[in-house]
Amino acid sequence: MSQYTSTGIHGLDFLLNGGFPAGASILIEGLPGTGKTNLSMQFLYNGAVQYDEPGIYITFEELPGQLYKEMKAFGWDIPALERENKLRVLCISPQVLLEQMERQNGLFEQMIQEMDCKRIVIDSISLFQIGDDSVEIKRKTLYKLRNILRKFNLTALLIQEQTAAIDPEVSYINYVVDGVIRLSLKDFKEHYRQRTLEVLKMRGRKIVEGEHIYRITDEGIQLLPAFSMVEDKSHLYESNTVTTGIAKLDQLLDGGIPHGSAFIIDTNSKANYKYLAASIAVNRLLAGESLIILLSSLSTINDIEFLYELYGVNLKEYVEKKKIFFIEHYNRPSPPGFEGAIIDVSNLDNDEYRKIIVNGLEPFTHSTLNPEEKWFVYYDLNTIVSQRGKAFLETFYAEEISRLNSAGFSVLSLSNFTELGPQLSSFVERTSNGVIKTWVEGSYQYVQLLKSPLGKMSSPLLVENINKKPFINLI
Amino acid sequence: MLQFNPLKVECTLFFEENPYTLETAEGLALRLGRKTAELVLILEHLVTDSILEKIGDGEQAIYRYVQPDNFQIPREFIWE
Repeated sequence: MSQYTSTGIHGLDFLLNGGFPAGASILIEGLPGTGKTNLSMQFLYNGAVQYDEPGIYITFEELPGQLYKEMKAFGWDIPALERENKLRVLCISPQVLLEQMERQNGLFEQMIQEMDCKRIVIDSISLFQIGDDSVEIKRKTLYKLRNILRKFNLTALLIQEQTAAIDPEVSYINYVVDGVIRLSLKDFKEHYRQRTLEVLKMRGRKIVEGEHIYRITDEGIQLLPAFSMVEDKSHLYESNTVTTGIAKLDQLLDGGIPHGSAFIIDTNSKANYKYLAASIAVNRLLAGESLIILLSSLSTINDIEFLYELYGVNLKEYVEKKKIFFIEHYNRPSPPGFEGAIIDVSNLDNDEYRKIIVNGLEPFTHSTLNPEEKWFVYYDLNTIVSQRGKAFLETFYAEEISRLNSAGFSVLSLSNFTELGPQLSSFVERTSNGVIKTWVEGSYQYVQLLKSPLGKMSSPLLVENINKKPFINLI
Repeated sequence: MLQFNPLKVECTLFFEENPYTLETAEGLALRLGRKTAELVLILEHLVTDSILEKIGDGEQAIYRYVQPDNFQIPREFIWE
């Protein structure tokens, strides 16, 4: 027996890692007009047509005749499926239903067996929660209802009407059921409303968290899972990626950061990005690439030497092999042995700096005399902004990324989008193939992949500090 | 006279349009917007005519539609 029941709604099955747990009771909650009936009927219709799983739609208030007409708009001929005994729209009162469900060989049991019913929808469960009965009796009623559905191994959708946009109390039904799906209508760009679906709970299934947009189309509900962006074809078939050294990040990036791509780490002032950046840079060195690092005011060569040593990289050895160079904006003394690897730009104005970067690096990059040599550039954009100004970054960055990319260089830029401002950060983001955001919120640090060449995004991942390479773990 | 009672027609049409209805007289009265006492007489008549089936007794008795024989015939062949 299958462990899950496919809904046949592609985006939803993706969120549910295949479908609902078989035999589970799932609450579908939402305000009027969010599409609860459509979604539930689509679940039954697809069950009957695609999966040979007959279903029953129980309606307490809406008349079946009306539902037949509404569903016809999606091309679903419900009466035809009723004639084939694959679907049935049952019109009944909550009390009559419960009585028949409780009764041994009652009408409910007879119908389930007669149809070999596998799926059921109850529209709506809210009617069990109103009335004069005490809260305790109502709870027992819902608990009994769920147990009966479970006894018959029915995968059940229980529709619940939300009466307000924000429900301050989580209904006790949420604890009784195996899963909760919330449908919402939200304001979008002033004049529009956007429908979103969120799986709040699903026992026994791995789910994709977050709010996902859906539309009610001529063919029913179509859901587009969030974090699925358009693939960047220019990098899609580029198999020679380099590991970031962080397993989860590699998994999201399908192996690592591709050669010739430009990535951004967007960090806030509290977040510790050094292990993230160091792990990526060190692994480029270990993969045989050469490295150019634009030093920030906060990181000296000694700091970097110490940090890279933690990853098993002796910086001096790479300096001697002319595999690493530093761009220094600050008038700081060179550590012994590093003199030949430092490009001092501390006293240069922007024009001179630009010339040095465009022309001045060539002797270094060409000094290896190996046309196959791959280069990786680590930029600290905050340093460029503080030393060269935002206007310089705006004109320089796109040109620089374009130049480096065309030469086959890979680039990792550290930035603080909040400090750059919305316009400049948006520009920098557009120029990049990938964006990794890290920030601190409350007592936790998070990392989120916001953009990648393969179009993948991630949910916010928690950062765990560990005492071995790469010193961070993403959860 | 009861044969041509408009309420009987209304009730029959209701079950024809909503064939999988399982309801008490009170529940049906609510859905049809009629008085329970008047409807009970009609329902009993429809049971006698084998249009409806009655399950149980008293106020909690449930009425359901007896599918006509032509229910299995494809719709296009049914004169409507």
